[in-house]
Amino acid sequence: MKKRMLALLLSALLVVGMLAGCAKTEEPAQTEEPAKTEETAKTEAPAAETPAKAITVVSREEGSGTRGAFVELMGVQTDEGDMTTEDAEIANSTSLVQSTVAGNAAAIGYISLGSYDASVVKALQVDGVEASVDNVKAGSYAVSRPFVICYKEENLSELGRDFIGFIMSADGQAILADKGYIAMDEGAAAYSAAGLTGNLSLDGSTSVGPVMEKLAEAYMAINEGVTIDIQQTGSGTGITSTIEGSCEIGMSSRELKSEELDAGLTPVTIALDGIAVIVNQSNALDGLTSEQIRQIFTGEVTDWNQIG
Amino acid sequence: MTKLKETVMHYVFLLAACVSIAAVVLICVYLLGNGIPTMFEIGLGNFFGKVWKPSQDLYGIFPFIIGSIYVTAGAMVVGVPVGILCAVFLACFCPHRLYRVLNPAVRLMAGVPSIVYGFFGLMVLVPVVQRLSGTSGKGLLTASLLLGIMILPTIIGTAEPALRAVPRSYYEGALALGATHERSVFSVVLPAAKSGVLSGVILGVGRAIGETMAVIMIAGNQTKMPGGLLDGLRTMTSNIVLEMGYSTGIHRQALIATGVVLFVFILLINTCFSLVKGREAK
Repeated sequence: MKKRMLALLLSALLVVGMLAGCAKTEEPAQTEEPAKTEETAKTEAPAAETPAKAITVVSREEGSGTRGAFVELMGVQTDEGDMTTEDAEIANSTSLVQSTVAGNAAAIGYISLGSYDASVVKALQVDGVEASVDNVKAGSYAVSRPFVICYKEENLSELGRDFIGFIMSADGQAILADKGYIAMDEGAAAYSAAGLTGNLSLDGSTSVGPVMEKLAEAYMAINEGVTIDIQQTGSGTGITSTIEGSCEIGMSSRELKSEELDAGLTPVTIALDGIAVIVNQSNALDGLTSEQIRQIFTGEVTDWNQIG
Repeated sequence: MTKLKETVMHYVFLLAACVSIAAVVLICVYLLGNGIPTMFEIGLGNFFGKVWKPSQDLYGIFPFIIGSIYVTAGAMVVGVPVGILCAVFLACFCPHRLYRVLNPAVRLMAGVPSIVYGFFGLMVLVPVVQRLSGTSGKGLLTASLLLGIMILPTIIGTAEPALRAVPRSYYEGALALGATHERSVFSVVLPAAKSGVLSGVILGVGRAIGETMAVIMIAGNQTKMPGGLLDGLRTMTSNIVLEMGYSTGIHRQALIATGVVLFVFILLINTCFSLVKGREAK
């Protein structure tokens, strides 16, 4: 009898403990709620309320195309190499960066502009310029990079050549522009199906991958009997498999390195992509200068209060 | 005729056995053949150094070794007491009706994919730690908590049958000497099942050190030396998965060499396991 009482007491304690835990998580969530509605009604935004917290820097892993482009453009990369602070959290995909920043009020990260979701996180202005397709196209938004596909001349089938032709045609470029990327060739001719059949394999960047899926879908809709297989393993892997011949076309979200060009690859730039610097939606900050971004990502500035 | 059938089947079984051995041997040869020359190419001092910056040809994996050990130790602190006590409860205290619910629940825990655990950690544990500590919420503490939960089914699954295998006469003897139920269980049955319980713990260590996807999502993955309970860290497994996608040349070789070090750790753990098992057999 005594034992049963004890067990009951213990389980009651556990339940109470759990409830307390829930209550704790709910409380700050409520305080965040108004911040989210602020975003939609910007005019009502109250006095800037910078979170008095250490900055959580979220970066991509070494070798990521996004990281490579970002550190180079922001001056985080010096002659001594990539100087990204050692305290930076590392996330290995665009979506993980976005969800990490969305869940941490003190976080700052960077993702491809095409993957930026304004309902989840907030993109900052860089040097007073909004991160938008128009500004990247006009060249006023500083943080942008090319999307490149590459192939080995001797390994490229007629089908591969036709697919590249499709990407660079008005139809293909329209799909890229529709996804928020910046088309390379605005005056391209329309694509007409060549009636080819067969299989085509692509491999590479996780940034290029999603839009490549759309391109492939559209291409397969026009050309029946074509199967396009797209693997998203990262720029480096995609380029390596193209060199080794295990896939026909590689996708990269950075310029090819000279050693990769030496291996016999032909690069084609299919679009430009901006990199959005993102913060949590509860962050009152609207923009940073590139110098401030550099200082944050190199660890010279570690607290939001140090930023004016 | 039956003789022929038996001989044929004999070779079929032999072939099956050879396949699994061949797989292990191939992995060993591939890993060691690729990894060890790389270690020397990079330089042992560099490879076991403290700075990992592939872009500057610095491939120090020491922080990741420490990270793996910390995370595993943390998981032990969380998981071992809970796991052993749970196994004791299931084996010696649990009413039959409750057992019919608890046992499948524990088995189900083992079947949950690790990425789901990771997602649970990211969505539930990280925000809680974030609010309680004021840091980013990703780090040693969170990873230890989550891994502690993840190794529970491994520990319980091995420890519970071991406790059940203890001859009933031990327990009855203790009762006859006047010990209470609790005392008999903890002073007689549990010590008698010691080696089985210990193997469960060692298997749990193996699971914790090899866990990858869940840890990537909640450990922060910083390349620096872990400094405290709330600091982010990177384990060897996460290092391989994080950078494999984009690495080329010597960077990729260094990741394979990281795999070699991890492999050595797993070998050590498995040797411990067989030693414990061997002692039990005696």
